[in-house]
Amino acid sequence: LFGSFSAALRGDLTEARLDPALEEIRRHLVAKNVPADLAEELVAGARGRLLGTQVGPFQSVQQVIRDALVPSLQRILTPGASTNLLRDILLVRERERRPFVITFCGVNGVGKSTSLSKVAFLLLQNGLRVLVAACDTFRSGAVEQLRRHVDNLSQLSADAGLDAQASLIELFAQGYSSDPAEVARHAIRHARAHAFDVVLVDTAGRMQHNRSLMQGLARLVQINQPDRVLFVGEALVGHDGVDQLREFSRILRQQTAGGGGSANARGIDGIILSKFDTVEDQVGAALALTWTSGQPILFVGVGQHYVDLRKCSADAICAALLS
Amino acid sequence: MSLSDLGRSITGALRNITSSDDIDQPMINTMLNNIAKALMASDVNIGLITSLNNNIKKNLQFEAGASAASKKRQIQKVVYNELVNLVDPGVEPFKPKKGQANVIMFVGLQGSGKTTTCTKLAYNFRRKGWRTGLVCADTFRAGAFDQLTQNATKAQIPYYGSHTETDPVVIAQEGVKKFKSQNFEIIIVDTSGRHKQEADLFEEMVQIERAISPDEVIFVMDASIGQAAKMQATAFKKAVDVGSVIITKLDGHAKGGGALSAYFQAVQSMGPISQVMGMIPGFSQSS
Ligand SMILES: Nc1nc2c(ncn2[C@@H]2O[C@H](COP(=O)(O)OP(=O)(O)OP(=O)(O)O)[C@@H](O)[C@H]2O)c(=O)[nH]1
Ligand SMILES: Nc1nc2c(ncn2[C@@H]2O[C@H](COP(=O)(O)OP(=O)(O)OP(=O)(O)O)[C@@H](O)[C@H]2O)c(=O)[nH]1
Ligand SMILES: [Mg+2]
Ligand SMILES: [Mg+2]
Repeated sequence: LFGSFSAALRGDLTEARLDPALEEIRRHLVAKNVPADLAEELVAGARGRLLGTQVGPFQSVQQVIRDALVPSLQRILTPGASTNLLRDILLVRERERRPFVITFCGVNGVGKSTSLSKVAFLLLQNGLRVLVAACDTFRSGAVEQLRRHVDNLSQLSADAGLDAQASLIELFAQGYSSDPAEVARHAIRHARAHAFDVVLVDTAGRMQHNRSLMQGLARLVQINQPDRVLFVGEALVGHDGVDQLREFSRILRQQTAGGGGSANARGIDGIILSKFDTVEDQVGAALALTWTSGQPILFVGVGQHYVDLRKCSADAICAALLS
Repeated sequence: MSLSDLGRSITGALRNITSSDDIDQPMINTMLNNIAKALMASDVNIGLITSLNNNIKKNLQFEAGASAASKKRQIQKVVYNELVNLVDPGVEPFKPKKGQANVIMFVGLQGSGKTTTCTKLAYNFRRKGWRTGLVCADTFRAGAFDQLTQNATKAQIPYYGSHTETDPVVIAQEGVKKFKSQNFEIIIVDTSGRHKQEADLFEEMVQIERAISPDEVIFVMDASIGQAAKMQATAFKKAVDVGSVIITKLDGHAKGGGALSAYFQAVQSMGPISQVMGMIPGFSQSS
């Protein structure tokens, strides 16, 4: 028995055996919506590690490659930064006695306002007082959309018998065509004066290459110094997702650096991946976005209701990518 | 990768082969590989790329003793034909008829740009002198009716909707009926965003279609979409009679990559395609 075992082990992974299998895996990753260049990089890494090694007795070359990819995927999907938003909020409340400010940004229609409402729901359930700042003063119906969410969430809190004082949600709006950075500033002042724990700042969707709109976002961040700037990206996105996140980070950093140089620069602090329920196992965008930014996915949006917000599971994403 | 980058990559892949003295199989494989890579970097569906490659291979049968020049000509022709086959819907685009009601229903994934594009299209028709109305049959999304109301008001287009009725089928039916009775020629019906994984949402869409018997169903697709385009577009086509596709947000970047994938998918399964964006003066591109 031992003899046949070691004989099978002598399956050297030569180029001829490895490369066709790597090509197959590369296409597999692309079909899972991993950007082509990232898929190529991952496969090249695996090739470097595997070339000249041996295949075990009951393994296929494909399986060996998959196993070799897992650590790289895990590393990309779990950057170091904290994903415990609730703890961070409570810490600021305790130590600094001021509201924690979170700004939501991203391109048009990805789910910023909906994700914001889901986060509000989560915070309310944890007994926090939430002020929603309607800083999308541009898109038709944006303010009414948030008002509707705030009304719904208020009602839900009341129905759940949550303590009216402890958990409270309010909308702060100053209509359309007012300056979003100013609306945010006033909202934060209002939140301080009325002991809100968190300010959730909704912003208008903007294309990453629209210079003036991007500068407007940077100004909002610069003036209000939110505790977190969250980028909302949708799981549906293809290669453009990488470009979106890269540009949002780059322009924010560049425009907020000011005289203080890069020490003051503010970039993207975390990611919300929306519409995860629409892609089945084509979950490559999760990998693409963490890879691009080195920032963690704080939440995954899995539907159109307030409860449809999950923590991101790197294991589940790995499994889906390699399935 | 932008559409023009893609064009350049494909031309480059072809030029490599046409500038060499003789043609052999490894060269053809390299060319196919380069074309495949360029398409992959544009989010084009991977299955589509494979079938394109197979078709090119199948149709490349050189006669014995063919000269290098004639092989090159044949390669160019076959590659060109197969690319065109991908793009050509082979169907006439929808043409509304003057003096009668033309009902157009918008469908698509969440946030793809339906509501915005409804108004752009309506405005476009109104400007050309068609009596045009908008119906908001989205009772799900918070603020949907406000959004349509504000857009329609800015563009001066009559609209129909309700803050109290919760059944989108009823609203769609009533709205179309009302506009028909007033001799409107173009009646555009906006619906909620939906996705194939939620059967109830698809069922609702089918019911709206049944209730209003649209003359045209338009599938609205976001240019940035990746590999999920195929699965979703195919499901919409299967559920309702999609006749055209509008690709939105092409102003995002020169990167029309996903749009290309969407486009290929769409024209293969759905028919003619138009691009409507930023057409309303005084409306910025994303408003
Ligand atoms: N299926 C699904 N739909 C979602 C999810 N998140 C948001 N949506 C839907 O996506 C659409 C757009 O959501 P919004 O929150 O309005 O997006 P936005 O980014 O604020 O859009 P703009 O402000 O116009 O740029 C809505 O129909 C939402 O219901 C999600 O996780 N899953
Ligand atoms: N830059 C840009 N933004 C667009 C374009 N078309 C739509 N948008 C924006 O994309 C976002 C979503 O558009 P909507 O029209 O609300 O999308 P929808 O499909 O109706 O969304 P749901 O009803 O939630 O499914 C909004 O912020 C629009 O302003 C476009 O061509 N370019
Ligand atoms: Mg919004
Ligand atoms: Mg809509």
